[in-house]
Amino acid sequence: MRRMSNAVDEGDDEDHGIDLAPMLDFVLNLLIFFIITAIFVKEVGLTLSTPPPSNNAKKTDNDDSTMYIAVRANGDIVVDQRLIDKASVRPNVERFKGEKPEGSVIVVANTKSPTGIVVGVMDEVRKGGIMNVSIAPTNTSRTQ
Amino acid sequence: MMPQRHSHDEEHHGIDLAPMLDFVFNLLIFFIIITSFVKQAGVKIIPSDADTAEHRDSGNILIAVRANGEIWMDRKKVSLPEVRAMVERMHAERPDDTVVIQADKLSESGIMSKVMEQVQAGGIATVSVGTKGEGG
Repeated sequence: MRRMSNAVDEGDDEDHGIDLAPMLDFVLNLLIFFIITAIFVKEVGLTLSTPPPSNNAKKTDNDDSTMYIAVRANGDIVVDQRLIDKASVRPNVERFKGEKPEGSVIVVANTKSPTGIVVGVMDEVRKGGIMNVSIAPTNTSRTQ
Repeated sequence: MMPQRHSHDEEHHGIDLAPMLDFVFNLLIFFIIITSFVKQAGVKIIPSDADTAEHRDSGNILIAVRANGEIWMDRKKVSLPEVRAMVERMHAERPDDTVVIQADKLSESGIMSKVMEQVQAGGIATVSVGTKGEGG
């Protein structure tokens, strides 16, 4: 007779374990809360490095394993005392790489220059095939 | 007709919740950990564009430099010397953290360089600048 009415049966039969359903509800709520508040950081970026200190001391043009690209405060890009635009950074770097495959590039950025330009130049250098690019800040308006 | 035996061989109506609960618990712990390990800067900036940017999965200390030169870290505006102190503290808590400087594309690059110096003085050598990659 009890077998026939299973729905009623379940109500009054003693369970062995704890009833997990309310706990599960609670945990699911917590889970949803954390999923919603979780911030998925998909940070992409260029690794910044400063030039080795020895290079900092003698920043001369005849140190020919290093190519200097200057970025002026107004965003101008200067290579070898020539004013170039951003698109010509890459051919310049490629030519330099052809001459000095082990060479590195230092972006000499005026402290007032916009970050977007500096990062853009670093990006162009990397596109040109030289991954060893570092950034040196400078205060002087003089750009080599 | 004894209730104990009865409940034993009776067919269960619900699904067994225990494996699901295990799974959900794991998910829960995962998300709790994810949320607490990332130090958001707390401000929105416009990043520079770069096509050769790499993914930095472990970059979890974010320092924002706004276009007006303000530095934000851990949802607070900080001054330049404070950056070093905060980086040192965070570095002591979890030594394998790396730093991503989220510099606005219109900010002065000198501030980014100074922040980088402070971070490296604080003991974290791996610093990168956040960019907008090809994926957006």
